[in-house]
Amino acid sequence: MNNVTHLSGYNNFVLPFMIGMIFVLSCCAIGAVRVILELPASDKKKFFLSLINPKIMAQNVRDWFCDCLFHVKLWKRNKLLGYMHSSIAFGWFMIILLGHIEVFLYTPDRIHKLWYPIFFRYFVAVNDNTMQGSFFFFLMDFFLLIILSGILLALVKRVRSRAFGMRRTTRLSFTDRIGLYSLWLIFPLRLLAEGFTADISGGSFLTMSLNHVLHSFLGSEMNMLPTWWAYSLTLGTFMCILPFSRYMHIPAEILLIPMRNAGILITHSRKGVSRLYVHTCPGCGVCIDACPMGAVKANNKDATVYLNRQLKRGNQRRINEISEKCLLCGKCSAVCQVGVEGDKLRIAQRTQIKYNLSPDYSKIDVNSLINTNNIFVNTANKNVSYTENKKVLYFAGCMTSLTPSIRKSMVSILNKSGVDWRFMDEEGGICCGRPMWMAGRLEQAKQMAEKNTEIIKTSGADMLLLSCPICYRIFKERYSLEGVEVLHHTEYIDRLVSEGRLNLSRSDTRYVYHDPCELGRGCNIYEQPRHVVSAVGELVEAAKNGKESVCCGGSLGSLTLGFDKRKPLTENALANLTAGSPDAIVTACPLCQSTFGRYSDRPVKDIAQIVDENS
Amino acid sequence: MNEIVVIIGGGIAGLEAARQLLALGHSPIVIEKSDHLGGHVADWHKLFPDMKPAKDIVDELVSSSKDANIFLHTEISFINRLKDRYNIMLSNGISITSRYILFTTGFRLFDAAKKEEYGYGVYNQVITNQDLEKWFNTSKDSRIDNSAMKAVGFVHCVGSRDEKARNTQCSKVCCITAIKQAIELKEKFPDAEIYCFYMDLRLFGKKFEDFYIKAQRDCGIHFIRGRVSEVSENIDGKVIVKAEDTLAGRPMKVTLDLLVLMSGMVCNPDSTRVAGMMSLPIDSDGFLRSTDNVSRNTVSPKNGIFYAGACTGPKTVPETLAEARSAVLEIHNSIISRR
Repeated sequence: MNNVTHLSGYNNFVLPFMIGMIFVLSCCAIGAVRVILELPASDKKKFFLSLINPKIMAQNVRDWFCDCLFHVKLWKRNKLLGYMHSSIAFGWFMIILLGHIEVFLYTPDRIHKLWYPIFFRYFVAVNDNTMQGSFFFFLMDFFLLIILSGILLALVKRVRSRAFGMRRTTRLSFTDRIGLYSLWLIFPLRLLAEGFTADISGGSFLTMSLNHVLHSFLGSEMNMLPTWWAYSLTLGTFMCILPFSRYMHIPAEILLIPMRNAGILITHSRKGVSRLYVHTCPGCGVCIDACPMGAVKANNKDATVYLNRQLKRGNQRRINEISEKCLLCGKCSAVCQVGVEGDKLRIAQRTQIKYNLSPDYSKIDVNSLINTNNIFVNTANKNVSYTENKKVLYFAGCMTSLTPSIRKSMVSILNKSGVDWRFMDEEGGICCGRPMWMAGRLEQAKQMAEKNTEIIKTSGADMLLLSCPICYRIFKERYSLEGVEVLHHTEYIDRLVSEGRLNLSRSDTRYVYHDPCELGRGCNIYEQPRHVVSAVGELVEAAKNGKESVCCGGSLGSLTLGFDKRKPLTENALANLTAGSPDAIVTACPLCQSTFGRYSDRPVKDIAQIVDENS
Repeated sequence: MNEIVVIIGGGIAGLEAARQLLALGHSPIVIEKSDHLGGHVADWHKLFPDMKPAKDIVDELVSSSKDANIFLHTEISFINRLKDRYNIMLSNGISITSRYILFTTGFRLFDAAKKEEYGYGVYNQVITNQDLEKWFNTSKDSRIDNSAMKAVGFVHCVGSRDEKARNTQCSKVCCITAIKQAIELKEKFPDAEIYCFYMDLRLFGKKFEDFYIKAQRDCGIHFIRGRVSEVSENIDGKVIVKAEDTLAGRPMKVTLDLLVLMSGMVCNPDSTRVAGMMSLPIDSDGFLRSTDNVSRNTVSPKNGIFYAGACTGPKTVPETLAEARSAVLEIHNSIISRR
């Protein structure tokens, strides 16, 4: 009987696999079409054009290999985690690929049978022809071994996640659990199935040896069919549960990569890229450890991974709660292995929350804010003597106005360096718009941006200088100020020093530099402030810094976090900063400075202050 | 029945307690960290509501408690508990054994520089209530220019009732102090416009309300309900204050020659330190915690340890003095019941 089925290349046990396969493929196809259809027309065009752009396509292919198969980012984070994921992903990919190559080479007449490469060893009997492929037998066994080692690590990780650099992991949902267990079972069952048939189909070091072991005490061939059935059933279960579980991230990431490379941004709270992000989230829980709110255990459930889960479930109450609570520090996005932008996803949710108040700023008359103080009249400042004659407009913003020592230091630095500068908002100004943007009030933010743009254009400035990263980010990201260079004071001071216009004296003071969220993760400025700090003293690094710097807890991002709830977050951030026992804390954001100043046991200064003191 | 009582702090509460203990025949030992007695009140010029010179009160207290053992420039190095008494080691090397310790450690003025938006320590024309009192006493402060005093502002609740400054308690005396100081300034500079920026006025004490009415009606002091949002400086070195007039419902901006910040009372870190040596509890407002805030507010949860004055919370001068007497009575009763 076996011979017959072997020859026909079909057995009923392939059915669970086929059902699962067809189901998952159709789900993915429907999902992909849905996401693409939901994109705004301009984004759709952008996406399709990117697919014929060779440069972007090359990037796509590179990202597919590096992110989906090799998990390069995970390797950088933790070698064990990286090995666990890439062994399963790449190993599985190779087994599928090699399976198809085998079929193509030895039984090309059966390539049209979708299940054939998966169950190849059941249908093929060893003969001179197939034995030429002992090289493939070896490779198949080799990759199966790699996968099995990955699965073993996954089992260890369930028990001891700390060994993998994870303090906290996600609580799995029911479907995630089924997916997980079936995934664990697939490969051991495949090994067993192939082990039973290795004497007929042929095999290599793993399957052949197992075959000898099995036959020594389980002589009957009767075990063959049930194990192949079990293998097919677990495969089918995994694929049927996949669209409802976190394993949806596997196909979703394949689509997310070209979308991201095409430069498509979130435009809707749920549709399009937002939907894709939600499904790309693998639920790994790296964001739980990263979240600065995690300093209080009760906030663990507000990490991005749970936002994504609630978005899948459509639990509106929790979605709003999580979205409004977040500090928008962006650390979850920075550490996310698949590039889910948790902060932007939350802002998109906030746009949907209705408030009673919706102010209109379009009626503000900017003429009252434009005066001789902030307009560059055609004559350059008489006291200025330097070659590069840029007209600098300094926008202090509300936070710098509330920290007058920073403003005073900035004025002093600008005068010392002989810069031709004017205050944009000495007599009061219009908000930069970033707080409104963070609150999801995009329309109001745009109205403010328009008004400020008008003032800046009228002033005739060549450069806009900001000392608050919150302002800086929105001026950089959302304003169109052609011909006006937008600089944060850390960049500008660094430039003044390197051009020799500002001379600094170095002291022995040990400074730790705190990367403000909006400046570091927000605008990618890490190097310039460190240059400046190193020029005035000894730079000490915090335990976590740069991309992984910890939010001070004072962020404007959170709409609901009360003052008392922020204290432990600030204390946690301070503990991180003072790990290297510095003499003083230096930051480049007035909000971070005043937040830390409240609880710090040592001086907290803005970079402008230490530069002014040492120049 | 002569009993040694160690009094920690030589402010008005400590002196009043020493005086009363002497009168009852005990031997008080006053330990004072600074070089003078009288604490904060010694720095003050006149006291509301009758404008009695603070010096008179302090002098009177000092002279009537001079028979007590007084250690100036002395701190507590450590305290350990023996069987039924305490061994107190002083920084000058002397150790005292006593059954009774009275905390009269007082308060510390909130560091106004922590409210950076008000510009204390940043702008030259911004001073605190304490600086102003010292100036009343000495007429010496480089920041105050007698010739140019056209407009003065007072900011109430600096570091009081302010969650962001980590102090939610009301400092009790600043409302009336601001009014008193405003009247005093107005008397010195009759042409000056004086503004008080307040959240609400808490004028609970004897004749406080009369003071307020006098300030408004007779002195023409402007009371503006609203918090100051931002202070800046103009080219002439004057301070520009932005605030919201919440009664008129509009923002306002005034240029001032002097801005006085009404710094509130916070717990003295020294009293927390000494309390820590004996594991005395700290209340949620950061001050020392009495056994009962209603009926036994001078009694600590530990045997033989008593409190008086602002170490348990902001208090006025008469309240502090009354509490010192009350604590002495508790101690005296305890001494008697022992026999």
